[in-house]
Amino acid sequence: MSRLFVQLGAQGFLLGVLETLYMTFVSTLIAYLIGLPVGILLCVTGKDGLRPLAWLHRLVGFVVNVFRSIPFIILIVALIPVARAIVGTSIGNEAMIFMLTVAAAPYVARMVESSLKEVDAGVIEAARSMGAGLFSIIFKVYLPEAKPSLIVGAVISTVTVLGYSAMAGTIAGGGLGAIAVTQARPSNAEDVIWLCVVLIVIIVQIVQEVGMFLARKTDRRLRMTAKRSKAKPRKTRT
Amino acid sequence: MIELCHITKEYPSKDGVILALDDVSLTVKDGEIYGIIGLSGAGKSTLVRCINLLERPTRGQVFIDGEELTAIGKKRLPEIRRNIGMIFQNFNLLEQRTAEGNVRFPLEIAGVNRKDAAERTKELLELVGLSDKAESYPAQLSGGQKQRIAIARALATKPKYLLCDEATSALDPATTDSILELLRRINSELGVTIVVITHEMRVVENVCDRVAVLDSSKIVEEGEVSEVFSYPKSEIAKQLIIPELIRSVKSSGGKKLRLVFNGETADSPVISRLAIECGIAVNILYADTKNIDGRAFGHMVIALPAEEAEGEKVKEFLLQHQVSFKEEI
Repeated sequence: MSRLFVQLGAQGFLLGVLETLYMTFVSTLIAYLIGLPVGILLCVTGKDGLRPLAWLHRLVGFVVNVFRSIPFIILIVALIPVARAIVGTSIGNEAMIFMLTVAAAPYVARMVESSLKEVDAGVIEAARSMGAGLFSIIFKVYLPEAKPSLIVGAVISTVTVLGYSAMAGTIAGGGLGAIAVTQARPSNAEDVIWLCVVLIVIIVQIVQEVGMFLARKTDRRLRMTAKRSKAKPRKTRT
Repeated sequence: MIELCHITKEYPSKDGVILALDDVSLTVKDGEIYGIIGLSGAGKSTLVRCINLLERPTRGQVFIDGEELTAIGKKRLPEIRRNIGMIFQNFNLLEQRTAEGNVRFPLEIAGVNRKDAAERTKELLELVGLSDKAESYPAQLSGGQKQRIAIARALATKPKYLLCDEATSALDPATTDSILELLRRINSELGVTIVVITHEMRVVENVCDRVAVLDSSKIVEEGEVSEVFSYPKSEIAKQLIIPELIRSVKSSGGKKLRLVFNGETADSPVISRLAIECGIAVNILYADTKNIDGRAFGHMVIALPAEEAEGEKVKEFLLQHQVSFKEEI
């Protein structure tokens, strides 16, 4: 057992886990506060959307693509002065959350857009035929109908952000990534690195399983086999 | 009354403009069931969507009860749409809502209060005979049940009109009949004016009062169903109404008569009596007739005897017995 392993102890690793969870969930949450509306905007203004607006769609799409194409590690470096201006510091977990949010929001926007686009165009048309307006369709059709897909998207986004958060060490953030990269690697404490890997894998597994369970549970399209056996015999038609 | 005046719909495409509707005009009277029949790609779906402006016509006007839909503002359109229910081939139910939730949906949009909405929803589920399925999700329902829920949903806001876009095309014949019967009942009991889009002649024949035949973006024929059904003028109408007839007529030589039973003839064994009374045996090439309330409806194709005189005798007999016929080559 390496000296670092002993030095960190259960408490050190637990702190790492908590910091990783904190950074991941807070930044994913903020990323959704930004990405969800942007994703809806992308879907609505698209060519087959409810309010096609080519210039706005292209502009927002362009900005999203720019942010998505910058590798996160470079984005961190580039955002250091911005973080200082906005969060007041360029180091630590709060700075990291800012950077993760900037990286994740465009990703979330695309995820949301693709989930919403999966909603059957016929259902949207039916809602329009009933006199539903833009906001009714967004909140009563798009979002509820896409819910299972949105949850799956949220799981994937969370796992991606978790991966990014491991780079926190590079700007003096905390978490398991920082332990592995900035503390264990220089002192060659391989056991510490591996334990970090295992802990991250466990976190990802839990997020994945819980998320998928929720997605399945809320999806009403999949319950047919479970309930049909209980269904009463069909009523005689008149 | 629904009036479409000189409706033209063009879609831009890579190779110029696609003409989906070409100067289409028609009038649907209050209280009737109006059919629009045509092959796929004829423009039927575009046409029905012009009625509630899901598709905006490129040129032409749409009037609902005298109000020009193509000229009204954004505020008024949703109100008018609430007066025009619509059902679809693929039902288009909200998959994440129960049957009851689906029926309540248009009421929520219209801002009806919870208590009234719940009451109305219950009423509608009763009307379509699916009260026991209120808590089921669409995935747990059969095609016919889904369409019934869709019908209940379309009627939630008590519309005066109901548009049916290929509403029975995804259903088997027995289920189709039960849905058509429901539509007839909605028409007669609730007084809802219905527009039916279909490619199946059965559907038109079963429920419609009048029919328009759409071919290549144009209306080629329009009239009372019994009239169009008995004496189709356009090639496309003949093809839609009696596809087997055309085939059977083409496949064998000799002179043939097409007998039309459009309800004016009593359901009596005409052909048997022809054989017995005139002593002429005719060969039946094709027959599709049915008895509705003691009256005969349908078509029959018979081969005429080779001898001219006997052929005349057959025609005379048919005239005497008020069977209309047409010589087919």
